[in-house]
Amino acid sequence: MNLAATGMAAAVAIAVLTALLAVVVRTRTSVVGVGTALTGVAAVVAGAAALAGGSFSVVLPGVLPLSGVSLTLDPLGGLFVAVTGGVAVAAGIYSMSYADTPDLRARGVRVALPLFVVAMVLVPAAANVGTLLVCWELMALTSLVLVVAEHRRGPQVASAGRWYAVMTHLGFVSVLIGLMLFVAHTGDDSFAAMREAGRHLSPAVAGVVFVATLVGFASKAGIVPLHAWLPRAHPEAPSHVSALMSAAMVNLGVYGLVRVGVDLLGGGAAWWWLLVLALGAVSAVYGILQAAMSSDLKRLLGQSTTENMGLVLIGVGAAGLFASSGDRALAALALTAALVHVVGHAAFKTVLFLAAGSVLHATGSRDLDALGGLRPVMPVTTAAFGVGALAASALPPGTAFVSEWLLLQALIHGLPAGGVAAAIAMPVAVAAVALTAGLAVATFVKAFGVGFLAKPRSEAVAGAHESPFTMLAAMGIAAVVCVVLALWPAGILPAVQAAAGGVAVSGDVTLRLNQATGALSPLLLTLGLVAAVAVVAAVMRAAVARRVRREARLWDCGGGPMSARMEYTATSFAEPLQRVFDDVVQPELDVDVSHHEESRYLVQAVEYRRKVPDRIERRLYQPVLSVITAWGRAGRGLAPGSVHRYLGYGFYAVCGVLLLLAVTR
Amino acid sequence: MYVQLLDLACGALLLTAVLVLWRRELTVIIRMFALQGAALAVLVGVLAAQENSAELWAVAVGVFALRAVVLPYLLRRALAGAGESRRETRPLVNVSASLLAAAVLTLLAYAVSQPLVELAPSAATQAIPVGITVVLIGFFVLVTRRRALSQLVGFLLMDNGITAVGFLATTGVGLVVELGVSLDVLLAVLVLQVLTTRMRETFGDTDLDELRELRD
Repeated sequence: MNLAATGMAAAVAIAVLTALLAVVVRTRTSVVGVGTALTGVAAVVAGAAALAGGSFSVVLPGVLPLSGVSLTLDPLGGLFVAVTGGVAVAAGIYSMSYADTPDLRARGVRVALPLFVVAMVLVPAAANVGTLLVCWELMALTSLVLVVAEHRRGPQVASAGRWYAVMTHLGFVSVLIGLMLFVAHTGDDSFAAMREAGRHLSPAVAGVVFVATLVGFASKAGIVPLHAWLPRAHPEAPSHVSALMSAAMVNLGVYGLVRVGVDLLGGGAAWWWLLVLALGAVSAVYGILQAAMSSDLKRLLGQSTTENMGLVLIGVGAAGLFASSGDRALAALALTAALVHVVGHAAFKTVLFLAAGSVLHATGSRDLDALGGLRPVMPVTTAAFGVGALAASALPPGTAFVSEWLLLQALIHGLPAGGVAAAIAMPVAVAAVALTAGLAVATFVKAFGVGFLAKPRSEAVAGAHESPFTMLAAMGIAAVVCVVLALWPAGILPAVQAAAGGVAVSGDVTLRLNQATGALSPLLLTLGLVAAVAVVAAVMRAAVARRVRREARLWDCGGGPMSARMEYTATSFAEPLQRVFDDVVQPELDVDVSHHEESRYLVQAVEYRRKVPDRIERRLYQPVLSVITAWGRAGRGLAPGSVHRYLGYGFYAVCGVLLLLAVTR
Repeated sequence: MYVQLLDLACGALLLTAVLVLWRRELTVIIRMFALQGAALAVLVGVLAAQENSAELWAVAVGVFALRAVVLPYLLRRALAGAGESRRETRPLVNVSASLLAAAVLTLLAYAVSQPLVELAPSAATQAIPVGITVVLIGFFVLVTRRRALSQLVGFLLMDNGITAVGFLATTGVGLVVELGVSLDVLLAVLVLQVLTTRMRETFGDTDLDELRELRD
């Protein structure tokens, strides 16, 4: 029993024990938090051991009927197990005080938390279809319980839960269909046998399998046409659960795609990967555009998850495309970029959601237009959110910069590699990544600047207080990981290479490409930046010291001291962007101007309302929903309430079946 | 002798079921149901004599006690509180059409049970269609009669039919199973009796079609 196996066994044992403790003896909330965090630690150990080469395999035929449980931890799975574990550590510690509310102290919610974590840890370790699907479903169910944990807060929580339940189960059905079709052609549901047979599937069957599983996995990852649940469920879930879902669970969609598409089906045709690339590009741009318009802090973060998963899918799609045209080294580079982005996104999204939860905890509001002025009262949370926002916004000393830069390198160098399709797709993808990066900067400047700086915009914010120690510690851990990933990405590169190399995309990955523009050290870059800032500050100080200083109020047009109402709000900050992308987002504007009685020229009040509805959702989901509603309404005609009618249905059905039997025998 | 007695009992079963459809007086319907219970008990008794099994004799006595004495008594008590509404005045399907339907159902039962009979042809199994007919007629009563009490009789008719098929096909399904089923039926009747009384107290009537507003 090596380290990876020990870690996995420990993770499962601790999680199950914690769940049992929560259900049998009503333990304190902190015990559940510690248990979850320890589960995470064990998962990190297991994942790291697997990445270092210590993979393991175990078959427990008696546990599940028909297929049995079969677990294997290879480097690719190990990466996702480690990432999930890392997020679980922070979320577990955070929940020790965050989850100490009446709603979150409910028994079912406490049991679901460790089980959710262990289900997410087991999904990447599953080595046959049965195990994968059971763990996938366990993950969906436990997360659903957690999403609706605070259902007393309002009907929107139940609505979010319904959306999530329906979408996740439709996705599950799609994955089920794809994998069952696959297994029907291989005859064995273990991944090893499928890997052998996957190479010899006919292109048509392989294509159907790929598209069916892609639909399911993309819906879990929140990729665009199937993203509708994500901006609903992630904001309404308790914040540590949002962090787990947004930083760990969505990754498993990417895992599934890589596992089935690259590993089991062995690459496949170029059109698969062009499809993935296109979905990724659309998700990235659309997700961040929606986030830029959003003024709900957690919704903004959820929409940014769609964007980041889109970027990851661009990487995966490019990797598949390069691999199908035979360029192994570039494929490995693109896949590495995607996986580095998965790790980085997990780190900064954890920080951001935990910090948003801390704000929610202190002020009771997630509305950016009502926040502001949090820096003096919540310094640690502000610092953590600042680190997260910097990490998310693809600028040099940030985590996302590393992976997006790698991704851009792969895409740019891929230009001469493929055929006509690549020649068209690559520049478009580069443009999409660049646009996404720019909009991400604007989005996170808005979130941080409007949400945390300036003056408080409401009473609740003015009375805010810093969160308890455990919540700060959890944010601190995640923020430190973010900084480490940003400054020393080479530290995780061997691990990611092992994961990327483990899935049949062989070839050495180095950061240094042939051209001079290819080499860049984030650490040196950051040091240079810090030095430049220091020099500028020193020069400024020296210049200022020479003059006589005079304190004065800011120029305010003679309108008295500046009040919070004169500040930029999230809505007004996003207004220029909204104007630029008017045709895409199609916002609904409503301006009400009321005048004084005495004079029509004097304005009494101006009321401005803006709503940015999800256009794709309205075009795609509304028709389907209205058809289903109409169907249901038609079905009500069958149920007029008469007992005799209902009995009659049964009677005629029985007689019909008997008649059929008598006739067909 | 055995075959004739068996056929006689089965004939009585079928005849009483059809009579339940024919008559509208609830008191007569209950009497027919009691007769059917007795016929069922005779059927089991005949089988017991043929098999020479003490256990089956015990079951026969039990069936008689429950279906010919206790259940009719309970139904009559429920009826006693009913006051003037003692007739099934407006069935959803009128009596002559009901009798025609019973004939069709009998044909259907015979057509359907042929494979069952062919599995092991004997005097007992050849009577299986009668049991199935009783089940279908019971269901038909459930669908077409308005009074709660006739519904109850329909339900019990179905149960009689099922029991008859059970005995004819397997010569007894075991004392424990029979005991369990009987207790179930007894409980169901007791509960339905209470519900009927409550319905009458609330609506002044036991016409089930008045209950349309209970959906959603």
